[in-house]
Amino acid sequence: MKLAFQLAYKNLMGAGLRTWLNVGILSFAFVIIIFYNGMIDGWNEQSKRDSIAWEYGYGELRNDKYNPLDPFTIQDAHGVLPKEKSKDLTPILIRQATIYPHGRMMPITIKGIDTGQKTLQLPTQKLELSNAEIPVLIGTRMAASANLKEGDKVLLRWRDKNGTFDATNITVAGIFDTNVPTVDNGQFWISIDKLWEMTELTGNATLFIANQNFTPLKLNGWNFKTQMNLLKDLNDIIAMKKISGSIMYLLLLSIALLAIFDTQVLSVFRRQREIGTYIALGMTRRQVVGLFTVEGSMYSILATIVGCIYGIPIFVFMTKTGIGMPSASQEMGIAVAERIFPVYGAGLIFGTMVLVVASATLVSFLPARKIAKMNPVDALKGKLQ
Amino acid sequence: MENKNIISIEHVTKRYPVGDGEFTALSDINLQFKKGEFSGLVGPSGSGKTTLLNIMGSLDSPTEGKAIVMGRNVAELSHKESAQLRNLHIGFVFQIYNLLPVYTVFENVEFALLLQNINASRRKKMVMDALEWVGLQDMADKKPSKISGGEGQRVAIARAMVKRPEIVLADEPTANLDAKNAHTIMKTMRQLNKELNTTFLFSTHDEKVMGYLNRMIHLEDGKVRKDEPIEKPQYA
Repeated sequence: MKLAFQLAYKNLMGAGLRTWLNVGILSFAFVIIIFYNGMIDGWNEQSKRDSIAWEYGYGELRNDKYNPLDPFTIQDAHGVLPKEKSKDLTPILIRQATIYPHGRMMPITIKGIDTGQKTLQLPTQKLELSNAEIPVLIGTRMAASANLKEGDKVLLRWRDKNGTFDATNITVAGIFDTNVPTVDNGQFWISIDKLWEMTELTGNATLFIANQNFTPLKLNGWNFKTQMNLLKDLNDIIAMKKISGSIMYLLLLSIALLAIFDTQVLSVFRRQREIGTYIALGMTRRQVVGLFTVEGSMYSILATIVGCIYGIPIFVFMTKTGIGMPSASQEMGIAVAERIFPVYGAGLIFGTMVLVVASATLVSFLPARKIAKMNPVDALKGKLQ
Repeated sequence: MENKNIISIEHVTKRYPVGDGEFTALSDINLQFKKGEFSGLVGPSGSGKTTLLNIMGSLDSPTEGKAIVMGRNVAELSHKESAQLRNLHIGFVFQIYNLLPVYTVFENVEFALLLQNINASRRKKMVMDALEWVGLQDMADKKPSKISGGEGQRVAIARAMVKRPEIVLADEPTANLDAKNAHTIMKTMRQLNKELNTTFLFSTHDEKVMGYLNRMIHLEDGKVRKDEPIEKPQYA
């Protein structure tokens, strides 16, 4: 095997430009695969981190009637949890309402939250500090769509527990910036005490956010969604993104492998005399097949080395500066940061190396198999078609 | 050992499929070669010289009959066994040298020794000895593309001889060389034959080569027409 590597190395170096073209294209595929996967992994980690920090905490205890995908459930999806059971939980009451910014009518979701909570990153302390009669927090997306800024007053209309409409002016006490659009789009955050007062639903909550000390328990009328459950949609989206990405990089890898395959087919055809000479000098056909296969594998080994030489500085730069995402990506409805910081783990790099080397070895072996059936006499004469 | 046949060809026939029929390249050949012979298969193109040489080199096998080389029937050898036979006991010299273009002269000669797993220092000595035999010790670092045809063929001889084989099979070794180089090559091989007692077998229709042979086997249409010992070769 050592001999095959020595000979293959000499043969590849001897082939000059052809070798470096194959190595170049394969190393490009190698770098792109790592880059793309690193970006998806970076996005994945960042999205999960942000979703946990801003929305899910360590899980949600939801009222049985509440279905976040069905707004018709909001009206009746609330209940009271005994105080001793609500330890390590932050209550959130969700109600539907309408605002009238600048004479327009906009349906919104109003969410009451404990202003002293520390579980979520929402800056609820601003609600405590505000002097306004009914202070609210909104996200940058909500502020943009309603054309509101800090200190603005806007008319809010809502219904109490009996379905009676009421309306008053509320004040934007703060605008927060988050990567998690599901706590921003179409939502107003208000002190839960104030919302209880406004709706006469004192002590009620639609859901509770668990902190790290919470121990899940079975409660009638409530069901606990673990962090894993809550992140499932995000994981599914990322998995789908990975699959669609893998199609792209498999295409790229296929082009690179096609170049190696083509070179190998040409090599087996053009180097018949050489193959015949190897056999005449005492190599077995299996050794010659091995030599040609190792030559193909060495393209990938060289490609990974070359890829590392120019790829690693790029990856290091990317992990430090991040990759700016277009502003349109903020409207996608899932957590996308303005800058994604790719994550290039050892698993990703070594996994991709194995993928590239294994696939290059396979496509090199396929044409090289022909050598095993070659008649050495015909090979020496260069007569094979 | 001196009188023992190193190669024994017994009723060898070789047929190739051609279209719907068959072409008979060799027909019922019977020949014996002893150690240290300097013999040649001579005859016109298509007479079966190269086919017979290939069978003796275990690169091919007969359709009928037996080719016993170094006591082994080549038709019964596995790929691995025949590769071992070639690697250890047979050296080849080809008409167009067949040097490996990406290797230096040294590496070309060294190749057969690499297959024998000989250690580097011994390998180096053996290669340099072989290059000295052919007078090319100063060209060890050159690539085949940088040397002349005559030098290329001398490298091929060094490559065939470096492993000290019992048999060297040379297929038209002078066909691409001018007269001066052809004589140089033949003299080198003759000297190695005498010094190392290596059996040399040529396929040729070059009269210069014939002038060095101790035995000439005339082939025609795949049959032995004449097998003549030569007491006093012209250039010996």
